[in-house]
Amino acid sequence: LGPASSLPQSFLLKGLEQVRKIQADSLELQERLCAAHKLCHPEELVLLGHSLGIPQASLSSCSSQALQLTGCLIQLHSGLFLYQGLLQALAGISPELAPTLDTLQLDVTDFATNIWLQMEDLGMAPASPPTPGTTLTFTSAFQRRAGGVLVAAKLQRFLELAYRVLRYLAEP
Amino acid sequence: ECGHISLSAPIVRLGDPITASCVISQNCSHLGPEPQILWKLEAELQPGGRQQHLPNGTQLSTITLPHLNYSQALLSCCLRWGNSLQILDQAKLQAGYPPATPHNVSCLMNLTTNSLICQWEPGPDTHLPTNFTLKSFKSRGNCQTQEDSIPDCVPEDGQSHCSIPRKHLQLYQNLGIWVEAKNALGTSVSQKLCLVPMDVVKLEPPTLWALEPSPEVPPLQPGCLRLRWETWKPSLHIEQKCELRHQPQLGEASWDLVGALPSRTLRYELCGLLPSTAYTLQMRCTRWRLPGHWSDWSPSLELITTQR
Repeated sequence: LGPASSLPQSFLLKGLEQVRKIQADSLELQERLCAAHKLCHPEELVLLGHSLGIPQASLSSCSSQALQLTGCLIQLHSGLFLYQGLLQALAGISPELAPTLDTLQLDVTDFATNIWLQMEDLGMAPASPPTPGTTLTFTSAFQRRAGGVLVAAKLQRFLELAYRVLRYLAEP
Repeated sequence: ECGHISLSAPIVRLGDPITASCVISQNCSHLGPEPQILWKLEAELQPGGRQQHLPNGTQLSTITLPHLNYSQALLSCCLRWGNSLQILDQAKLQAGYPPATPHNVSCLMNLTTNSLICQWEPGPDTHLPTNFTLKSFKSRGNCQTQEDSIPDCVPEDGQSHCSIPRKHLQLYQNLGIWVEAKNALGTSVSQKLCLVPMDVVKLEPPTLWALEPSPEVPPLQPGCLRLRWETWKPSLHIEQKCELRHQPQLGEASWDLVGALPSRTLRYELCGLLPSTAYTLQMRCTRWRLPGHWSDWSPSLELITTQR
């Protein structure tokens, strides 16, 4: 039996669906930031990203070479939890982007909740849920928008890895 | 105040009795020593008023209407004064029924409005102002335990549907949901549903397009059609299966169905049809491998098959 034998197929299918939705939400945020504020390339914001201290969530336990299921799920959850916090810090980004950001936040939160509840059902959940790390502070509207570009880009990379591992786990 | 009516109950069940009493104060001094109190329901005099003279000099009349068959009526307390009947006070009587149990509660997740829309059958008219409320809570298991409550959803006046916005929903977790009906005569509660919002998603149909002939594509065989279709954009992230139905535009022809199709394709050839014949095509899709509802059939696409 593959590593995913303990994970219900419906959980994996829903997870894949949720990742695709979050990817679509995140892409829309990136497109809107590009259209409205000409912030289209995260590579142009690397220095700013370092100064803002925007972290990248790790999925090291999810690599196909050394998949460690419990560790992978915990990283998936804490990564989503991290992005939940980063997206919250973007609140007030701009009235036009607020609906897109709200939907993205809701979908990320939903997905994080599903993973946590599934871990609890399987007795894999840590004793206590993760606690929010240091919150980002943006000192200008520009920083908030640039932060939006960087957070969305990092989230997309995280989701690509998440999608790969969920699809691997969903293989019959 | 010359006269004052008080009622046994402001609202009663239709057909039930109701008792009213009217007190005529002493300061209506211009009246005779024994004024006769009369009752009118709407425009009809009502017999059976029992009148008595109270020690403090006031007059009291009490009447019981055995069966109130009006859902709304005006009851007047009157005095005969010369040749006229003087109205001294009026009371509005109301009668109706307690709310029936709301039934046939059903919900659909609408990705256009991004809300869970639930509807129900309110049951027969109660003749009384009746408030319906859609109540729900998030749940882990099969809705036996309540996790987080969700704000009540109050439908617009007279509507039997209500929409729970996305921000109150967890799309992939169980939701306990029911309808409560309340009026002055009682409260009733529908059967409780336990559902996962995304599992009751109803998609919009795909869009069908004709495929223009082009040099790179080999000519069509006789009795064939070529088309393509695109998924409804808000459902791009949802794995779906679709069905195509087609019907020759000939008299009472029935539909033929082609099932288990992907939710989008750049080119699809449908053969085995009557040559040189106009066909109507429609498609619908549903979330698949995960649960969901079939979309409605798409608007028709009309194509003509190639000649023999």
